[in-house]
Amino acid sequence: MSAATRSLSRGVRASWPWRLAALALGLGVAVAAPHVFTGIAAQHLLVMVAINVILVVSLDLLVGGAGLISLGHAAFMGVGAYTSALLVKGGAAYPTGLLAAIGAAALAGLVVGVPALRLRGHYFSVVTFIVGIIATILMTNLVDLTRGPMGLPGIPFVTLRLFGWEHTFRSVVFKTGFYYLALAFALLALLLRWRLGRSRFGRSLAAIKGDENLAESVGVPTYRVKLTAFVLAAGVAGLAGSLYAHYTAFISPDTFTFIHSFDLFVMNLVGGAGTFLGPVVGPAFLTLLGNALRDLSPALSQVIYGALLILVIVALPDGLVGGARRLLRSLGRARA
Amino acid sequence: MDTVLQLILNALHTSSLYALVALGLTLVLGVLDIADFAQGALYMAGAYVAFYATSAFGLSFFLALPLAMLVAGLLGVANYVAVYRPLRRFSGATTFIAALGLLLILQNLALLAFGADFRLVRNPFPGVRIALAGATITGYQAFLAGAMVALVGLVWLFLKRTPVGKALRAVSQNRGGALVVGLDPFRVEVAAFALAGALAGAAGTLASAVNAFDPHVAATVVIKAFAIVIFGGMGSVPGAIVGAVVVGLAENLTGGLVSTQYAELTAFVLMVVVLLVRPRGLFGAQEAKL
Repeated sequence: MSAATRSLSRGVRASWPWRLAALALGLGVAVAAPHVFTGIAAQHLLVMVAINVILVVSLDLLVGGAGLISLGHAAFMGVGAYTSALLVKGGAAYPTGLLAAIGAAALAGLVVGVPALRLRGHYFSVVTFIVGIIATILMTNLVDLTRGPMGLPGIPFVTLRLFGWEHTFRSVVFKTGFYYLALAFALLALLLRWRLGRSRFGRSLAAIKGDENLAESVGVPTYRVKLTAFVLAAGVAGLAGSLYAHYTAFISPDTFTFIHSFDLFVMNLVGGAGTFLGPVVGPAFLTLLGNALRDLSPALSQVIYGALLILVIVALPDGLVGGARRLLRSLGRARA
Repeated sequence: MDTVLQLILNALHTSSLYALVALGLTLVLGVLDIADFAQGALYMAGAYVAFYATSAFGLSFFLALPLAMLVAGLLGVANYVAVYRPLRRFSGATTFIAALGLLLILQNLALLAFGADFRLVRNPFPGVRIALAGATITGYQAFLAGAMVALVGLVWLFLKRTPVGKALRAVSQNRGGALVVGLDPFRVEVAAFALAGALAGAAGTLASAVNAFDPHVAATVVIKAFAIVIFGGMGSVPGAIVGAVVVGLAENLTGGLVSTQYAELTAFVLMVVVLLVRPRGLFGAQEAKL
């Protein structure tokens, strides 16, 4: 970036004290939320928003970071959820289950990424979409391992031990504690995404997003960089899956279908792919919208959802955050 | 041996249905580079047209078939005009998302309108069985395979002989060149969507007398058909047909000799293998990239 463009982009963006203030405000809202909304249904939504933020942030590394539209993300969440649930049910400590979930999902990411990343553009998207379906078929049919469509009940709650201190998050009834746990992981994921975006690796991804052939010709090992991002994103999705499994204490293949992969992608798109706040705004907005539409028949709410999606693609290609940013920018210009 | 032969004969109707859907998908992919998953909904529409035309209006199955093709073809053109054409300036990924949105809308509208009950159209050839070297096929299976061959033949003639068909092939081979020589892209694109829709509608109608269906069939069919398109080579007409035959056979053989549970996976396994060995697919002209 030349000095001129750098100063230009700085002129357009909010200055850092404002950003810091906005960040502090957002954190304050996130921390205070479970004390304002004390009902069990509302707190459940808060936990789901936090878990979805982790998933969408990891997906955004691919979509917003590298322009890789991956539509099978829920499959990796599922791999993480089953790995962790089965291990902890078998007697492992929760941190072991969590690490194994990340590892297994990352491994699955490698297995999928190696063939899928040989395709570019929307052919890659179609293949990841189909892989998500294969994953659901496997989860449903490997009955000996997953109990198939009956699902896996009785998953132990998260128990953490630290220097003699021990706490079990009985999250089916008491949600506040688990919410903070999920929030901590969501913040960690956001931080990681932000750091990666500004690293050499993130710039390689951005180059691939801009023009893959050009990136290749200036020496970016595109296939390896894309594969690394894919494996990393899958691993973080596995983490979210583990949190989800031990939060609800029950999982079944229905949670990890292509519909959920699609939902995650839409959250990313509606929030604004490639923006810092998009992966927070999207899950929050759509989780609440989904809840508001729940009183309608499921079929009708799906119709509205689909129509909304097409509208967003046409009217707000850079999502709510991108749209808001453009609005602020044009207001700023009008004032100047 | 007889079981294997029987399984191969059973594959006839599976393969025929896949071939029709995959052919429509590959045509639109070749001309417009759109992964038109909404065609699953046109298949579903064809099945419902056949069901209501034969049950509620007492129409003969053989009249319901062209009617369903007409309805599905018009729906395909409507999708194009209402959604895909306005999205032309966006990348392929955006249109793919729009296609999934469209599939979601149409499938759920069908759920609202027709409910989730399983439907089956009455077999137009009840009780007819044809013996073939120790195995048998039903009269309807024979009709289905014949209808597939006839429809594919007609599409082939259309692409080779008619001006619109030739234009369609030209745009699919070299879009820029086709526009330079003055072909009207709108006409070609409408033709591609109408044709693809009619094929999906025909497949839905033909399937409706052997496979019980509900609105969810829209998604399941199109996903498998797209795996076949990737396997055969995206945008390739022979690829779609050979792919459908191979997948139909592999599926029936896996189902009969290994386990029916995993028969559903064969199309996808073949797809992944092809991607590893030959990313352009069996008959793909070039490596698929944007």
